[in-house]
Formats: sequence, structure tokens, C-alpha cells
Amino acid sequence: MECVVQGIIETQHVEALEILLQGLCGVQKERLRIHELHLKSGPNLGAVPSDLKILCDLEQPEPTWTVRHVGGPMRGAGADQISVLVRTMLESKASKNVLRFFYALGYKLDHELLRVGFAFHFHRGVQITVTVSSINKMLKLHATDEAVPVTPGMQLVEVTAPASSENYTEVVAAMSSFCEHLAPLLHLSKPGISTGVVPTAAAAAASLMSDGGGTTL
Amino acid sequence: MAAMGGGVTQGQPHPPQLQQQQQPPPQQPPQQPAVEALNAAVQQQLNLEHVKIRAISLFKAISRILEDFDAYARTNTTPKWQDILGQYSMVNLELFNIVDEIRKVSKAFVVHPKNVNAENSTILPVMLSSKLLPEMEIDDNSKKEQLLQGLQNLPVASQIEKLKARIDMIAAACESAEKVLSDTRKAYGFGTRQGPTITPTLDKAQAAKIQEQENLLRAAVNHGEGLRVSGDQRQITPDLPMHLVDVLHVGDGMQNVVDASGMYQRNTPLQSNTLTAQNALLQATGAQLMGRSAASPSAGTSFDNTTASPLPYANSPRSGTNMNTPSPQQQSQQQQQQHHQHQLLQQQQQQQRPKMMPLSQHPQQLLTQQQFRQSAMPGLGQLHGQPQMQQFSQALGTHQQFQGRQMASGIGQSQLGQGNPMTRHLSQFSSAANSALFNAAQTTQNTQMIPNMSGTMPSQSLLQSRMQRTHPSQLLNDQMFNMGGANPTGMLPIQQQGTSQSAFGNMQQPNAQSLQANMVALQNNPQNHHPNFSQQRPQNQQ
Repeated sequence: MECVVQGIIETQHVEALEILLQGLCGVQKERLRIHELHLKSGPNLGAVPSDLKILCDLEQPEPTWTVRHVGGPMRGAGADQISVLVRTMLESKASKNVLRFFYALGYKLDHELLRVGFAFHFHRGVQITVTVSSINKMLKLHATDEAVPVTPGMQLVEVTAPASSENYTEVVAAMSSFCEHLAPLLHLSKPGISTGVVPTAAAAAASLMSDGGGTTL
Repeated sequence: MAAMGGGVTQGQPHPPQLQQQQQPPPQQPPQQPAVEALNAAVQQQLNLEHVKIRAISLFKAISRILEDFDAYARTNTTPKWQDILGQYSMVNLELFNIVDEIRKVSKAFVVHPKNVNAENSTILPVMLSSKLLPEMEIDDNSKKEQLLQGLQNLPVASQIEKLKARIDMIAAACESAEKVLSDTRKAYGFGTRQGPTITPTLDKAQAAKIQEQENLLRAAVNHGEGLRVSGDQRQITPDLPMHLVDVLHVGDGMQNVVDASGMYQRNTPLQSNTLTAQNALLQATGAQLMGRSAASPSAGTSFDNTTASPLPYANSPRSGTNMNTPSPQQQSQQQQQQHHQHQLLQQQQQQQRPKMMPLSQHPQQLLTQQQFRQSAMPGLGQLHGQPQMQQFSQALGTHQQFQGRQMASGIGQSQLGQGNPMTRHLSQFSSAANSALFNAAQTTQNTQMIPNMSGTMPSQSLLQSRMQRTHPSQLLNDQMFNMGGANPTGMLPIQQQGTSQSAFGNMQQPNAQSLQANMVALQNNPQNHHPNFSQQRPQNQQ
């Protein structure tokens, strides 16, 4: 299971967000360049199509592949009250022929995207990952080098944390408190719920970007 | 550091004097031989006699410590640091107290040394230095200049006044800045949990644009809208990115399933000879099993999990080959391959065997290895019951092939599943499956199994002793490693062949209990290989 929230931030403020995250997380940022292939199962595998994500991490010297299945979100009255989306998620490392394997099983490529940005992995009671990335689409199939952003002026911020059915309330609490720290720059919400831009973003970004004063008289 | 102005004032009230610090312990008594009374006022504040006494005692304490150190140095013992530190702290405290007292009245005392002379000329400047480092001094000067610009010529008092005015102005500016900050903070709600009360509003058009962008982005990420490429554009370009180059092949349609058979066929030649051989064997036995099990896609996998013990080298190489276990469609092709690979396989057995016998948990695999290496051995300890008989007979059949190679008599390369008098014995034996069985097992049994394997029979007594000592599985492992190359010199001659033959011949049904009973009967056979145990054990223990 994982807890996830998403938010958007204007590209001009991304640097400020990076500074803020650097201060909050206390770890080095990691560059992110992930080629995501979304596969959909064919009819031979059942009436209900299943979705799979194959992620290829292009930032490593040797590309590493991961297969991920994202399930439906938790439902119910309790789920509506928490501000974080809790959903099942299964992930596994895979070898580089995972794509061929799934094609062989009958999965077909539904769509693909390239995620370029940075991520912070840190521990704050629970392991939290914040990624800030621009989502790029490829005009030609698999042409990752020629990817263009879907929304040039806007980037996606995602905060995720792995959880289990026993501890998800703590994880949700930790995530929410962390997200509050980001309030001056952006609002985070469940995927699918739009938030808009935060009005204080510009001012907050400006203050983050400044060198903090301290010049002598 | 003690301050010691030795002096006396000649009755004059406290002329301001320079305070001086000296490193060496104070030289106590007032310098002047003439005893002049101190100023009454000063005397009230400071009992000089008292100070002198204390200083003397301090000096004595310090010199004592120094002597101790000297002694340590001479005798080369380690000093007790705890004590020394304790003494030092006391001395320190005492000194501090003295200095404190004197400082109060230091104004009354004269400077010491009074004059510059040979002995203090070198140290005096250092003692006097309140001078800053050169860089600091430059810094200081420049700042002073900056500050006093335009004021240098005025009298000092007015300089002071002007500076004061400046300070006031700056203070006022700071205050007003603070005020502004706090007001803004309140206005924007920073630092409070609530949202901003006064929000700078976005232009409507801008807000709409942003909203639109946001929807695009979220939809793209979560649902992939806007990212789907139509079918005609889905041609794999020849210039694939690096990570996909060896994963996808140009010309494979995205819509099509990758050609499975092509893939498998391509891979098999890449295997080493040994693996190929095993693969073939796997297929061979698999083919036999196929007849029994359903020809489903999982049939290929039935090899590894369950009962495909028939393989002689069954463990990890097999699991390796199982990766390429072809789907049923491939079976037919490979069954054809198996026959000529058979020959290959058997020729390679001799070399392969040592490699192919890693530890395995699978009982049947153990069994096969066992039989393979020695005859009819302990691995059986883990087998139970009859159901496995059938497969074992096949397995044993194959084993016989390999054993045949070993055998001096050269049983020759038999086909799979070939019936054979030995098979019966082996199968009976295999189902026994008990460590007790082997404890009871005599050397003769082993030889019974494979009467012709005299050259290669390991010491049965050895086996027996080992069975008694170790757990069967361990034994198997030991033996596996041991028997990598049959060691004829270590073998004991087969004995008692005749006597047990009959007994063994009675064991017709592969029933564990009955076998056990038979074994017990056999146990009565004398064991006369004990003298050789000691020889063998170290060898095989390794």
C-alpha cells in the first residue's frame, strides 16, 4: 500500500521549492529521469483489463527496470476524511526483458511518458519520498530524447510513502504534517482533486530564493 | 597568573597603575627590604600578609607537583592522571582566588617589572601587547575612518555627540522595519495555521489558464490522457533509446506478441554444452512425464517443481534450464533434439558430474545423485512411500546409464527407462527411505545394488559409520562432495556379497517397513571393516 498526494507548481518556482525541500528533508536531492510505460492487458487475460506500469530509471549508468501495479484507492467514510490517498501498490524490480515478457503475456502499450526532475527520499517517522518532475510526452514512439513537456509552465509534485494496512494512519499523519510545511508554495491533494496555485507562492518563492540579507552597514 | 606588584604606596591614595600579569609563580615578599606599611584603606581591602602566605603555599604545591612529574619522568612510570588532575584543579582554584582578591586592589600597586632591563626586555612586549593582529588593525582603522569621516577635525566631545545621533537614527530605522514586518506577517497570515486573510487575487484569465494546465497535467499523469499515440504512429523507430535497444526489436509490431518460439530457439544455442545436454535430458524425461500429465502450458514447469527427479544432474542446472522451459508448443521440437543430444550428454557426464552436484534439498534429486555417485545410498533416507516409485524407476533407469559409465564392467549406455535387473533392486531400495535403514545397511547391500561396480564402490563401512554419525542429509552432502571423482584406492573390497544376496533377494515389495525388517535381519552380518574406518573417515571428512 502507499499513501500519495499530488500537487502542482509553476515551473518558475521549482527552484524555490527545491531549496525548501533541501532544508526540510536534510538529504541530497536525486536526479530523476524515468521512462514510464503504461501497459494494459489484452482480452486474453480476462474481461477486466489490468494496468501495469513499467518504469525504467534512466538516471543510473545501467538502466534499471521496475514493474509496478497500482490498485484502487481505499474507499469508505474514513477514506473520505483523510486528505491523503491510500491505495494498494505492488512494486518489484525486474530485469530488462520485463517489457518483452509482458508483451508476450498479451499486454499492450497504452501510453508512455517521461518524468524528468528530482526527488528527495528521507525519513520523518516514516519513509517519505517527494518528487518534483515535469511530465513529458513523446511524439514518436519511445523517443525519449525528443520528449516535450505536456505542460511547459507547470510541474508535478508528488509525495508518497509506503504504508501497510496496520500503520497507514501514522503514515497519513506524518505525510500531512510534512505537507503543511510546503503550504506557502503549493497545496497538495489527492490525485484527481485539483488544487490550483497557491497565491502566496510567488512571495514565498522570492523569499526562498533571496540570500537572506545580512549585509553589514 | 598572578599579579604581584610588590609594592607599597608611600601613603598616597591609589594612583592608577598598570596591572601586570606574570607567568611564573609569584615571588612573594615585597621587594623593598624596608617594611613600609600599606595604605590603611588598601590594607582593609587586602590583607597582604595573608595573600603572601597563600601565595607561598601555592608555590609550594606547584613545585611539589613539578617534582612528582620529574620523578615520573625519571622512573618512567605512568602517572596517575586522576590524582594529578585533582591536584592541578586545586592549585588552579587557589591561584584564581588569589588573583581575584588582588585584582580588587590592583590599582594601589605598582607595576612590576618597573623597568625594562635585560631579563625582561624580550618578554615585556609580549606582556604589553594589546596590539591587534595586523589585519585586524587595518580593519579597525578603516572602520574608524569610515565612521569618523568628516568628524576628525572637530573636538572629541562633538564627535561623540554626532556618533550618538547616528546611533539613534539607526535604532529608529530598525524599529520601524520591525513594525512593518510584523504588520505584513499578520496581513499574510504567515506563522499562523489559518489561511491568508488577505489573499492577493489572481487575474481571472490567468487563473483559468492555470486551472486548465493543471487539469491537463493531472490527467496526463493519472490517466494518461493526451499521451496516447494513435496506431499508425506506433511504429518502432530504428533509433531506439539506449535502454530499449536490446529490449525491443525493430520490426516487432507493438501490437503483436513477441514471437515466443523464436526467442526460445535463439536462446538455447547460447547455453553451454552441459546445459544443453541437461536440457535435452530434461525434455526427454519430460516427454515421458508429459504423457501422464495434462499437456497444459504449465506442463513445462512441472519439471522443476514436482517429480522430475529423473534428471541426474537435477538441481541448479535444471532450475537454470527451467527458465527456458519452453511452452508446450516447443516440446515437440525439443524432443527431436533430445535424441542426438543424448549421446552428447552421456559423453559429457564424466566431466559434468562433479560440477553438477551442488547441494540440493529436493529428496529426489538427492536420491538421484546418491545413486549416481555411489550405489543406492543414503539419500533414500528422505524418501517415503511408493508413489514415487514410478518416477524413480525412470530415474534409476537413467542413473544406470551414468553408473554404467563408471562401472568397470561397463554396463553400457542404455536407453531411458530401460528395464534392468538392477532397476528392481534400486527401486526397492529407494523406497525404503530411512536413516535407520542405512544404519542397518551393510556394505553388502550397496554392492548388491550394483554388483558390477566393484571398482567404484566407496567403502560401505564408511557409509555405515557415517550414517550413524550424521544426519542423512548431511551425509548426502558430504558424499556428494566426496565422491566427485570415485576414488578407487579408498574403496574397500566388496564383501559378504554372497550371504546377503539371498536376504536381499527377499525384498520384493518396496515397502519401507518390510525393508526395514529385512535390514534388521541383515544387520546381523558381522562388520569387519572397522579397522578401515579410521582410514576412510579423515579422507572423506575433508
